[in-house]
Amino acid sequence: MSELPLYATLLLIVWGTAVALDLVSVPQVMIARPVVAGAVAGLLTGDVEAGLRVGVLFELFALDVLPIGAVRYPDYGPATVAATALASGAPWELGLGISAALGLLLAALGGWSLMMVRRSNARAIQRHAAALAAGESRAIRRLQYGGLLRDAARGAALTVLGLVLAWSIAQFVHFDRRTAVGLTLVAIGSALAAIIGGAVRSAGRGTRLKWMVAGLVVGILLVVLR
Amino acid sequence: MTGRWRALLRLFAVQGTWNYERMLGVGMGYAAEPLLEDLKTVDPVRHGEAVVRSSEFFNCNPNLAGLALGATARAEYEAVPGPQIARLRTALCSPLGALGDQLFWAGLLPALLGAVLAATVLGGGWWAIAGFLIAYNVARLATGIWSLRTGLEAGMRVGSAISSSWVPRAVAWVSPVAGFTVGLAIPLLAAWYLKAFGAVGAVGALAVAATGVAVTRWFGPSLTSVRFALLAMALLLFFRWAGL
Repeated sequence: MSELPLYATLLLIVWGTAVALDLVSVPQVMIARPVVAGAVAGLLTGDVEAGLRVGVLFELFALDVLPIGAVRYPDYGPATVAATALASGAPWELGLGISAALGLLLAALGGWSLMMVRRSNARAIQRHAAALAAGESRAIRRLQYGGLLRDAARGAALTVLGLVLAWSIAQFVHFDRRTAVGLTLVAIGSALAAIIGGAVRSAGRGTRLKWMVAGLVVGILLVVLR
Repeated sequence: MTGRWRALLRLFAVQGTWNYERMLGVGMGYAAEPLLEDLKTVDPVRHGEAVVRSSEFFNCNPNLAGLALGATARAEYEAVPGPQIARLRTALCSPLGALGDQLFWAGLLPALLGAVLAATVLGGGWWAIAGFLIAYNVARLATGIWSLRTGLEAGMRVGSAISSSWVPRAVAWVSPVAGFTVGLAIPLLAAWYLKAFGAVGAVGALAVAATGVAVTRWFGPSLTSVRFALLAMALLLFFRWAGL
C-alpha cells in the first residue's frame, strides 16, 4: 500500500461514500460498478493499474449477481475502493490476492449493512405511520432524506473501516512470494468461476446461450491471434 | 400538470428509502409530490388522499417506475376512484419489475459491462469506462423520460401502452447481445490476468475456476461465489501455514 497523503485519503472516503450511495439509493449512474469505482480509486491512490486490476476482478464477482427485488447482494463499491488502496504501489501479481480477500470480506459486510439500513428505513416509516396516513408530504420528504443520510453514513463507515483494515494489513501482514502469488491465483480463479457461473445461469438454454458460445469463440480467437 | 422535470429528477432517488415493508413506496411518494402539487389547489381533499396512495407499497424496476408514477398521477387528476388507482399500482408491480429487470439488470448492463471489460483488456482504458457510463446513462435517462411521459399520457390505459411499446422488443434484442459480450470478455480477461504467471499458474487458476463453477452450482445459493473465494483463500493459507 502506498503512503497516501491526507487529501487523497479524504477523497477516497468521499468516493467510497458516493459509490455506496450509487448502488441503490441515488443516483444509480453506475459509478458503483467495481470497474468504475476501482479505476477512479486507482487514480486517487496514484496507481491506475492496481485500480483496474482490482476493479475488473470484482466486476467478475458482481456480474454473478442480478440485483433484483429484495435479493441480498454484496456491496462491491467501498470494498473496491479499500482493496485498491491496499493493492496500490505493489506489483499487482503479489498484491491482488490479499486485496481481493479484504475486498470480498468488506463486500459481504456491505451487503449486510445494506440490509440493516433497509430495516432502519422500515422502523423510521413505522414511526411516521400516522403522518403518512394523514397524507403529509413533509413526512415523506423527511423519510426520504433520512434514508439517503443513513445510506451515506453506511458508505462512509464502510470505506473508513476498509481503509483502516487496508493500512493494518499493509503494516502487519506479510506473506512470502509463493503465498502472495497463490492468493492472487485463487482470487483470479474464483472470479472466473463467478462470471462463468453467472453467465451460464443467465444464458439458460435459449438464444442467449448460442450467442454466449459465439462470444467465447471470438474471445478465444482474439487471445490466440494477439 | 407541472413539475414533470422535478418528478423525473426525484425518480433518480426512488430507492432512497428502500425497505422490506413498502419497498419503493416512500420513494414513489417523494417523486409524486411535484406532480400532485396542482391538485392541492383544485381539490385539497383529493390531494391528501393521493399523497397517501402515492407512498403506499410499491415495487418495480426503478428505471421503469416513471410509467406507474405518471399513470397514477394522471388518474388522480381524472378523479378515478381511489381503490381503482390502488389496484393499478398493484397490477403494475410485476410487469414493470420483470420487464425492467430483464431490460436493464439482465440485458443492457451485462451487455455494456461485457463490452467495457473486453475493451479495457484490449487497451481501451478510460475511454472504455467513459463510454460505458455515457451509453448506460443516455439509455437510462431516455427510458426515464419516455416512461414518465407515457405514463402521464396513458393514465389507466398504461398496460396496453407498455405492451405495444418498444420495451418487450428491446428485451428480446438486448439479451443475446449481453450473452455475446460477456462470452467475449471471459477468455480475454482470463488471458489478461494469467499470462503473467506462466503455464503452471494459469492451469492452477483455471482448476480453481472449474472447481468453483462445479461446487457453487452443486451447493446452490448456500455457497455463493464470494463464499467460495474466501473459503479457497483460507484453505490456501492453511496449507501454506502447514508447510504444504
